[in-house]
Amino acid sequence: MTSALRTEQLTKRYGRRTALDRCTLDVPAGHVVGLVGPNGAGKSTLLQLACGLLDPTAGRIETLGERPASGSPRVGFVAQDTPVYGGLTVAEHLRLGAHLNPSWDATLAERRIAQVGLDPAQRAGKLSGGQRAQLALTVAAAKRPELLLLDEPVAALDPLARRTFLQGLMELTAESGMSVIMSSHLVADLERVCDHMIVLVGSRVQIAGDVDEMLAGHHRLVGPRRPVGEGSGWDVIEESHTDVQSTLVVRSTAPIDDPSWQVNRLDLEDIVLAYMAGAAGGAGRERVLEGQR
Amino acid sequence: MIWLTWRQFRVQVITGAALLVLVLAAVLISWGEVSGLASSSGYAGCAGTACAAAAETFLDALQETASRLVYVGTIAALFLVPALVGVFWGAPTVARELESGTYRMIFSQSVSRGRWLLAKLGLGAAAVVAGVGLLSLLLTRWAHLIDQAAGNRITPLIFPGRGLVPVGYAAAGFVIGVTLGLVLRRTVVAMAVTLMVVAGLQVAAPLVVRPWLAQPISTAAALNVDDLDGIGMNVETGEMHLRVQSSINGAWVLQNTVLGADGKSFVGPADLTKCGPRAGFETCQEWLKSQNLQVRMTYVPGAKFWTVQWREFGLLVALTTLLSLLALWWIRRKLV
Repeated sequence: MTSALRTEQLTKRYGRRTALDRCTLDVPAGHVVGLVGPNGAGKSTLLQLACGLLDPTAGRIETLGERPASGSPRVGFVAQDTPVYGGLTVAEHLRLGAHLNPSWDATLAERRIAQVGLDPAQRAGKLSGGQRAQLALTVAAAKRPELLLLDEPVAALDPLARRTFLQGLMELTAESGMSVIMSSHLVADLERVCDHMIVLVGSRVQIAGDVDEMLAGHHRLVGPRRPVGEGSGWDVIEESHTDVQSTLVVRSTAPIDDPSWQVNRLDLEDIVLAYMAGAAGGAGRERVLEGQR
Repeated sequence: MIWLTWRQFRVQVITGAALLVLVLAAVLISWGEVSGLASSSGYAGCAGTACAAAAETFLDALQETASRLVYVGTIAALFLVPALVGVFWGAPTVARELESGTYRMIFSQSVSRGRWLLAKLGLGAAAVVAGVGLLSLLLTRWAHLIDQAAGNRITPLIFPGRGLVPVGYAAAGFVIGVTLGLVLRRTVVAMAVTLMVVAGLQVAAPLVVRPWLAQPISTAAALNVDDLDGIGMNVETGEMHLRVQSSINGAWVLQNTVLGADGKSFVGPADLTKCGPRAGFETCQEWLKSQNLQVRMTYVPGAKFWTVQWREFGLLVALTTLLSLLALWWIRRKLV
C-alpha cells in the first residue's frame, strides 16, 4: 500500500527563517492523522508542501506516491481560516466545485449542505465561522480526494461548532475511506478522531506513529530524586525534579520493571505536551543537569 | 473555469458594458449631425483646392455642436480606458485572491494554476478587445471626415484614439494590471502601480516609442521669411526665436527649428538697428533674408498613419503576450 504522505529530509525556509527542518515521515494511507504542535511549529508549511501550494527548499515529499502539485484531483485541501468567496453563495460554491473537479460528487455535496443546515442561497461572506468551515470541508470532500488535508479547520470555532465539524469529518471518512491529515494546536480536538499522530515542535518532527502504540509506549515515572542515567532502555522525553522526587516522561517499548519507579499511564495530551516541553527546554535541561553534579 | 471567471468578473464586465453602451449611443446619435455638417459645409465630396476652405467651414461649424463634445469626450475616454481597464479589471483579478487567501481554495481544486490564470487572462483580454475594438472601429468611422478635415489623426492627441492601437493599449493595460497584482499581491498597491505604469507607457509612447517606430523624415530648406509664424525677441540683447508654420498638411511635426548659417539653432543676436521696436517689420524681414537661415523639419507624413498603427499595435501585442507568459511562469514557479 502506498503511503499517504512520505517525506525525506524535507526542509522549507522562508528567507532566513526555517519553517521546517529535515523532516522525515511516512504516514500510511487509510488513517485519520493528527498533526499537532504549538503555533509556528511548521504545521501549515508541511500541509501546504503536501498539497503543492509550496515548493520545498530541500529534501523530498510525496503524497500518494506522487510529487505534490496544486490542481491534483487526488488531494483535497482546506486551508487555514477556511477561505471561501465572500461574494458567492453556498450553491455557487458547489457549482464552482462541480465545474472545477471532474470527480465531483454532487449528491454528497448537497446532502452535506442540507445536513449541516446551510442555506444554499446565502452568501458565503455572511456565514459564521463554523458554517464557513463546513462549506469549505464540503467543497473539499465532494471532490472525492484520496487524501484530505485540513489546516487548523476548527481553530476559529466555538466548542459546539468544533464538535459538529469533527463529527461531520468522521462520518465522511467512515463512508469514503479517504486518508485525512489534520492539523491543530489542541490535542483534544484530534484525540477524538485521529488514530495516528505526528508531533511537530520547533520545525522538527518529534514523534510520529499510531495513537495506540504511542499510548502504550509512553509512561510517567515518579520516584525518589536521582540523576537520570543513560542506558536505562528508555528515552527520556521530559523530566522535572523537586528536592526529593523526580518525575520523568519516558518512551519505552518494553515494560518498566524497576520497582523504585511508580509507573503511571499517560493520555495523549500528556504525551504531546511532554514532547513540546522537552523540545522547548532541551538546551536548558542540560544546563540544569550540569549544575547538579 | 469559464463559469467561475465569468461569475467573478461579471460586475466589472456589466459596468464596463454599460459605459460602453453610453459612449456608443452618443457616437451613433451624433452621427447624423456630423455627416449633415459635412455635406452642408461642402466638405463631403469636395474636390481640389475648394477642399481647404470647405474643411475650415466644416470644422468651424462643428465648434458649437454637441458632436464637438462627443469628439473631445471620446478622445479623453480612449486615453483613460487602458488605465481604467488595468486598475479596475486587471489589478484586482489575481491580487484579490492572493489577499483574501481564496487562492488556496481554488488551487486545491482539480485545475492547474496555469489554466486558472489563463482563463482569467484570456476571458478578460477578450472582453477588453471586443469592447474597445467596437468603440474604436465605430469612432474611427464616425470621426473619419473630421480627422481628414483637421489633418491631425497622426498627431499624439488623436492617434491613440483611432484604428488599432486603442485595442492594443487596453489589452496591455489589462495584462499589466493582472501581472502586477500577481507579483505585488496587494490589491490597492497593484492598482496604484498599474495606474502609474500605464500612464507612463502612454507618456513614453509619443515621446520615445512612436518616433522610433515611425521613422520620421527630416528635411532642411531655406527659410521663406513669409512662412514665419512669429518672432520673439529680447530687445536688450537681441536674442531672438523664430517660429515657423508647418507647411506639410496632415503630418505629425516632431521638430521644426530655424537654423543659422552655422547649422546651429538660430537664436540671434538680431541687428537691433534693423530689427526691434525702433526698426520696421519690413527691414527686419529683409535682414532675416540676408542671414541664410534654414528650416530643419522632422515629421511623419499623414500617409504613414496605418503603417505606424500596425507597428505600434504589433509592439503592444508583443508586450501583452510577453507579460502574459511572465505571469503564467510566475504563478507556476514563483508564487508562494
